Amino acid sequence: MLDPRDLVDTDNWLISRKLFFDREVYEQELENIFARCWLYLGHESQIANPGDFISAYMGEDPVLVVRDSRGKVGAFLNTCRHRGMRVCRADAGNAAAFTCTYHGWTYGNDGKLVGVPGYKEYYYEELDMEQWGLVPVAQVESYKGLIFGTFDASAPPLREYLGDITFYLDKILDRCEGGTEIIGGVHKWTMPCNWKFPSENFLGDSYHFTVTHISAMKAQSSNMPSNIAAVRGQGFSTSPGNGHGIMIDWPNDASRPILGPPLMQQYNADIAEEMEQRLGPERANMRYSAGNVFPNVSFHVSPSIRIWHPRGPDKIEIWSWCIVDKAAPPEVKEAMRINYLRTFSAAGTFEQDDGENWSQCTESSRGIIAQRYNLNYSLGQHQERTSEEFPGQIGPRVSEHNQRYFYGRWVDLMAGTSWAEITNTITK
Amino acid sequence: MPSEAIEREVEKFLFKEARLLDDWKFHEWLELFTEDVHYWMPVRTTRYSRESKAIAVLDRAHQRVDELANEDELAIFDETKQTLNMRVARLDTGQAWAEDPKSRTRHCITNIEVEEGDNANEVQVFNNFITYRNRLETEVDIFVGRREDTLRKEDGDWKICRRKIILDQNVLLSKNMSIFL
Repeated sequence: MLDPRDLVDTDNWLISRKLFFDREVYEQELENIFARCWLYLGHESQIANPGDFISAYMGEDPVLVVRDSRGKVGAFLNTCRHRGMRVCRADAGNAAAFTCTYHGWTYGNDGKLVGVPGYKEYYYEELDMEQWGLVPVAQVESYKGLIFGTFDASAPPLREYLGDITFYLDKILDRCEGGTEIIGGVHKWTMPCNWKFPSENFLGDSYHFTVTHISAMKAQSSNMPSNIAAVRGQGFSTSPGNGHGIMIDWPNDASRPILGPPLMQQYNADIAEEMEQRLGPERANMRYSAGNVFPNVSFHVSPSIRIWHPRGPDKIEIWSWCIVDKAAPPEVKEAMRINYLRTFSAAGTFEQDDGENWSQCTESSRGIIAQRYNLNYSLGQHQERTSEEFPGQIGPRVSEHNQRYFYGRWVDLMAGTSWAEITNTITK
Repeated sequence: MPSEAIEREVEKFLFKEARLLDDWKFHEWLELFTEDVHYWMPVRTTRYSRESKAIAVLDRAHQRVDELANEDELAIFDETKQTLNMRVARLDTGQAWAEDPKSRTRHCITNIEVEEGDNANEVQVFNNFITYRNRLETEVDIFVGRREDTLRKEDGDWKICRRKIILDQNVLLSKNMSIFL
């Protein structure tokens, strides 16, 4: 097993390029990170009715997320226990039962094996059907509409795993009565990059914005300030523990334009009072730009939520959804849908330029000479503080503060540290 | 049915449009659209058919079979003339890194069918496309699909007032959609 401490120098914050292309590192990530952590599966509104199902992935493993006939949400490895054929090949639908199309084993929407062709004639009733249901995801829990799962039965409960990132997630998930819902459809696309580049970018990279995205900002000048320094605003990055992170504008300058049409800005003003009632003055007034729940689910103010599915050391598949307040007026939801897809989907005027960076960063990590030169994660290293109002270790808005906590957690998990030990060593 | 002369006009129009895109003449390309254009490429969802026996449906009321997203759902493009202008303005900045260096594209348009439109000055045009994109050293994307265009005659010229692009992919097999289809 690789010792991750050989690859991440946490004193000087130098990180080996091996993290971004090496097959051995990747295999160890699948085992030590993706098979252990809580991973995002989908939103409850996507499976609102009994029988509703969606396909998902946990790492590279396909899973089926389904609300059973009694209304309980479950998740199962999407592979037949007999010969391994994928049990469900659709992205979404409604089912009482799924039939494997190879030999016909049939599973109920609660994962139980309910039908085996030739059970009497060919198996002579010697197969214990109770033992051969779909492999369940060890733990499945929701946080305010977001369904997560982990294949590690020993992982701490979801609420504990999320920790204080919920303080910030509530700004998205709990600012209005009724919570959130997902607009229909998923943006899926591929990218030849390592999964950590986009995760760390959404987690805490306020530094790239005015270089990478300058063309989109200039072209959208009708609702973006001409002074690009103003885009970064006042604020901070925070890592509220467990490798999660988010970028916050604070104190909020209400006159600062947001990424979005006036209707979205007006809506924020309209719900200000309700937000303050539900969340208190600090959270009502703060803005977030983007964040990431370790390891690979990111959220963005566009408004969207997305997963960076790993597909090998140098490839990902992105699944991204538009998330809106359920109680928002239809015209506001429409404005959010349009704003998100035009800026941060595969054709998004902002998104396009991100992919150029991540793919080239990955590709250029291959070279044997390039590998001798570590990447620099020291930006704002000595500027940490804590705050009375806001949980987490706080760093400057433009810094690599959150990235350092992300890779700190990466080292802990890659070293095979137990959950009990990790919880103790995490800096909160 | 539109006359053969109109069919020929439409064909020439679509070939010219393809050439303008491949030659990076985006300002001239924008002139081919009406001010009220809707340029739309919905996402697609893989679903079982109504006849499928792979699942036993629990609740028919919640079993969707249509692959294409609705207009109020997600799309890769959902553009107006203003936002198409904005996309071109972005390319003009010299800082749109996903297209700097540029994509090398070849838009091939086939299977053109021209039918009567809803209005006297409009025609409905179905056409298939194979668009090849090559970029940097070895990046290659091939986009295949169908376009359902509505063309309107304005001041003697055909213009596109509606384009629905049906891309034959579920997961977009590209790192972005930084070109136009």
